[in-house]
Amino acid sequence: MIIDAWVTELLLPFLGDYAAWAGTFIDLMIKIVAIVLPLMLCVAYLTYAERRVIGAIQLRIGPNRVGAKGLLQPIADALKLLLKEVIIPAEGNRFLFVIAPAISLLAALIAWSVIPFSPEVVLADINAGLLFVLAATSLGVYGVIIAGWASNSKYAFIGCLRSAAQIVSYEIAMGFALVTVLMASGSLNLSAIVNAQAGATFLSWFWLPLLPMFVVYFISGVAETNRAPFDVAEGESEIVAGFHVEYGGMAFAIFFLAEYANMILISALTTLLFLGGWLPPFDFAPFNWVPGAVWFIFKICFLLFCFLWFRATFPRYRYDQIMHLGWKIFIPLTIIWLIVVGLWMRTPLWLW
Amino acid sequence: MFEFESIVFYFFAFLTLSAALGVILVSNPIYAALFLVLAFVASAGIWLLLYAEFLAMVLVLVYVGAVMVLFLFVLMMLDINIDTLREGFWRYLPFAVIIAVLFAAEIILVLTNPKFTSVVGDASAALTDDNTRALGSVLYTEYLYPFELASVLLLVAIVAAVALTLRRRINTRYINPATQVQTKPTDRVRLVSVTKESPLQFSSPSNDKKGKTSCPD
Amino acid sequence: MLNEYLPILLFIGVASVIGVAPVLLGMVLGPHKPDVYKNSPYECGFEAFEDARMKFDVRYYLVAILFILFDLEIAFLFPWAIMLKGDTIGAAGFWAMMLFLSVLVIGFIYEWKKGALEWE
Repeated sequence: MIIDAWVTELLLPFLGDYAAWAGTFIDLMIKIVAIVLPLMLCVAYLTYAERRVIGAIQLRIGPNRVGAKGLLQPIADALKLLLKEVIIPAEGNRFLFVIAPAISLLAALIAWSVIPFSPEVVLADINAGLLFVLAATSLGVYGVIIAGWASNSKYAFIGCLRSAAQIVSYEIAMGFALVTVLMASGSLNLSAIVNAQAGATFLSWFWLPLLPMFVVYFISGVAETNRAPFDVAEGESEIVAGFHVEYGGMAFAIFFLAEYANMILISALTTLLFLGGWLPPFDFAPFNWVPGAVWFIFKICFLLFCFLWFRATFPRYRYDQIMHLGWKIFIPLTIIWLIVVGLWMRTPLWLW
Repeated sequence: MFEFESIVFYFFAFLTLSAALGVILVSNPIYAALFLVLAFVASAGIWLLLYAEFLAMVLVLVYVGAVMVLFLFVLMMLDINIDTLREGFWRYLPFAVIIAVLFAAEIILVLTNPKFTSVVGDASAALTDDNTRALGSVLYTEYLYPFELASVLLLVAIVAAVALTLRRRINTRYINPATQVQTKPTDRVRLVSVTKESPLQFSSPSNDKKGKTSCPD
Repeated sequence: MLNEYLPILLFIGVASVIGVAPVLLGMVLGPHKPDVYKNSPYECGFEAFEDARMKFDVRYYLVAILFILFDLEIAFLFPWAIMLKGDTIGAAGFWAMMLFLSVLVIGFIYEWKKGALEWE
């Protein structure tokens, strides 16, 4: 808002009536860049963290050559991919082929516009925040479908089919899990959901009454991002790389970024919905001296570590097992828990 | 000077109309479906300008996130030949023109009727800040009957979908994962103790038949 | 309403630029030497012997249709869920949704028993 007024005053002699617009515009652009730029940096360093963590789990070292302790590795990777050829397959569809990774990344990024980082620190504080997140992430499946179809390759096609069916299956379980969060919080606004979890200790967060939903949501999130052990869409050993087999260079890099951005998004949402967002685990000193954003980032990092941990620990599921888990275990479980929470809330035993 | 809001409205309106034109004008059905997606997203923008927050989000969630995914599935995977689609264009044209004229007449009738315009005015006043909450307060009490009817409609749709598309495949080697993970080594492998035989004689070449066949030339 | 959503509109613009610009940059900076073998679809080194856009199992359609139906159901649940706290819609509203859910659970049991959820 300070920038807003400052820019307006600066531009007033040049633009006249439009100066206020320009001020708002520049102010918003600065905020957007302040969200997106660190986010992209986090995505880049998540790839580095993944290689180091999995390396450590597998008793290897991981990347350690570029820069001190390999810290410049993601930048070197990005530069390398930038200078590689973007191959567009013959008989593929040029326009859709190029646009598909952008759609994937777009779906992973736009949800960040409503994520609150600490109280009052949010780009767009809309009423229907959670609904917006759900709608935005449901667009992610388009990137996969369009990529698979535009490549005109059998592997890409099979990968896209598998991936799309898997994403939509787990989206249902995720949706039901979100409904239970809404029941407990009574609002769609993400800041209000976090505030509804405020209390003396971490026991007042929603993970406790909604424990099965917390687990279902996070596992569905892993499946939604096509991460191991649910990565049959990529399945290097059977369908080479799934929907992005024909992609190379920067186009591939964008898919890669979208996957990691989605991981961070799922972790952030799980934190906001079940782990109290920016709230400290104990509401007394020294815990509440730490700024809220730090707690928020710390919780996200923990969940991201779980993503990497899963990948290093579990073997890949078979496709029928994935669908079995999604439809026959998660969906009934979420419906039952929804009814349980509904009845529970009608009794005085509901403490949240 | 234009109101900023009306600029945004014209932007979305232009996007909706041109995307809708794209749906009917492009020859590739995939592009047509993607144009339809764009039209839905742009009309969600228009609904937002009308303060219909919940409906705009649900439009994107249900139509873009689910219905159009099914459309794309069908279009991409059915292997449609574009040339055969264009056959009979002229034959169906008169019929299409009649339907188009009927539709246009209907729309004009509705839009010019004062009865309908007054209803629209009332609705925008009722849609206040927290749209979803306003909807929730009436949907499950005042409009209970249509709401329960919707569940029956969805049930019919589930039954119909299963009845129409479910085909049992034969000759599949399906394994139930639950039984698969419960297997123990003793179910699969039987350890037998083999009685020791007399040591083999390698000296005579006539006995070495097995070794010869497996030897690559 | 527009004030709240304007940042999102701009964010969508910025995010699309971030998605498209690197690919275009990569196309400009990277080499561009297409040949027949490089541009042919990957098929483990063989020549592709049929069109990639083949017909596939009808089960995928079934999943997509069921997804639409359950998605609609979730859309119906959202306004109900936020009204539940504080008992604004009362017991009647609560049991109305239980009736709605029970009808749909019948549908879910039907498809389960029919074997629509099996992947063989």
